[in-house]
Amino acid sequence: MSAEPRTSGHSDHVALVDVNNFYVSCERIFDYSLRNRPVVVLSNNDGCVVARSQEAKDLGIATGEPFFKVRRLMDSHNLAVRSSNYELYGDISARVMELLGRFGTWQEVYSIDESFIGLNGTLEQVRDTAVQIRAAITQSIGVPVCVGVSATKTLAKFSNHIAKHNPSMDGVCIEQLMEPALVSRIMSQVPATDVWGVGKKTGQKLTGMGVQSIAQLKATDPQLIRKKFSVVLQRTVMELNGQRCIGPVEERSDKGQVMFTRSFSTPVRTREAMDQVMSIYAQKAASRLASEGRYASLLTVTAGTSRFATSAASFPSAQIRLVRPTRDPIVLTKIAVAAMNELMEPGIDYVRGGVILSGLSEHPGVDELDLGLLGSTSAEESEKVNVSDVVQQVSQRFGAKAIGLGSAGLAKAPEWSMKREHMSPRYTSDWDELFTVQA
Amino acid sequence: MPPGAAQGPVQAVSAMGFPSPARDYFDGGLDLNRLLVHDRVATFIMRVSGHSMHSAGIYDGDEIIVDRSLPVKHGTMIVVSLNGQMLVRRWQTEGSQVGLLSDESPLPVLLTEGDEVEVFGVITRCLHYVR
Repeated sequence: MSAEPRTSGHSDHVALVDVNNFYVSCERIFDYSLRNRPVVVLSNNDGCVVARSQEAKDLGIATGEPFFKVRRLMDSHNLAVRSSNYELYGDISARVMELLGRFGTWQEVYSIDESFIGLNGTLEQVRDTAVQIRAAITQSIGVPVCVGVSATKTLAKFSNHIAKHNPSMDGVCIEQLMEPALVSRIMSQVPATDVWGVGKKTGQKLTGMGVQSIAQLKATDPQLIRKKFSVVLQRTVMELNGQRCIGPVEERSDKGQVMFTRSFSTPVRTREAMDQVMSIYAQKAASRLASEGRYASLLTVTAGTSRFATSAASFPSAQIRLVRPTRDPIVLTKIAVAAMNELMEPGIDYVRGGVILSGLSEHPGVDELDLGLLGSTSAEESEKVNVSDVVQQVSQRFGAKAIGLGSAGLAKAPEWSMKREHMSPRYTSDWDELFTVQA
Repeated sequence: MPPGAAQGPVQAVSAMGFPSPARDYFDGGLDLNRLLVHDRVATFIMRVSGHSMHSAGIYDGDEIIVDRSLPVKHGTMIVVSLNGQMLVRRWQTEGSQVGLLSDESPLPVLLTEGDEVEVFGVITRCLHYVR
């Protein structure tokens, strides 16, 4: 196998930019009291920890830990706790993605808090751009990001990993500008499971073959990997060797999100065509959620022009907080279509587009109940909840008085807020919840 | 969700289903976002509480538009976090000295080394409700 030259003078590079501790960083934009102290953000229904500040990680708090287990740290270690504020996170995410799109020759939004972008130029120019990106996002939005750059997506992820774990690098790592010996040493120290796309199971099987570190994975014969694993892992090995072979990531389904994006065979340039695209991807994402038994709290739409486009570049992206966690294809489709319809500029050739669902939970929670009992929007919801089951679940969780049948059974409307007890205001999306500043 | 998707500015189709003659001339009207928001990525809106910025035309209950991307210079109106409190103030510099000015005193409150100061952003507009 002949690898491409690792360092080319003028070339295009791949950058992976992500926001550090995204949810916590969003909370810190307005609330200066959350700086320099442990902060955790809780899942839907305040069930367990979904995001941690560095200080909280240092306290040994794990992702997924139930809230009641860390509660005592609020007093003993000044731990701050916030409920998930998806309105705020969605708004900040959209800002970050839009700003990133201005720097890249192409952009692929990969999740609510990370995006691949293309950067052209010499390595020194690319490093300057990476530093500018970081400064611009801190200045304009107020969240910290790490930028990892290399020749391939897999290496850009690795590069980002290095930037994240070495504070002295100030959040920017250009892998090709590092001492090759140092890169090799890090690769031999970091487990293969830290490589993008290598899961726990694959890791175990690799260990069985004597492959434990990234360096070992990189040195393994790609053909052998293909035979024993898959073409997917073969590509990963080739990318570790500097060969670009992972195209646009179009589907992703894991703990954090469900994603459906595609490169179009012919460019999409009208609202009608884009409506269709969004409609199809939203339905696919919804059906994936259903097959996994999960519900989404946040919907992201994204689209982009070609890196070779001669016309204007455009990378529209929007995040919409869903009023209640849902997987209803009709609701999700309507929202995705309307949001992108608003954002796109007709006449521009879009070559990619997609839908990402995040803020996932296994349970529709209290929200689904609302329509089950009151029938307020049941016409829009194609899926029905077994009311008696839900009433029982809620009563068990929140006490018998929390819920009853019919609107008269509701103690009071704000009962829903029980599950977001520690939520910060929706500073950027609700006129009634604006941040108040003293004059 | 971006506003306007459902409502639209004007439906240029009459109830009879005939296109309005004004349709070809309608260009979307005056969009306040274009006037008030320089860069939506960096723009935040906040509500003011208090009476110490009347001289700058900022009153209790007003909404202010804050742009984080703009540079802070002598005389710039800013939202600033001072020792944990978010304030509307005018940024004053004189030599190496930095101060925050409000109507509370004729002279700026000079910042000292012990102060924790962080500028949130520059105030570009104030939305004042005229009663």
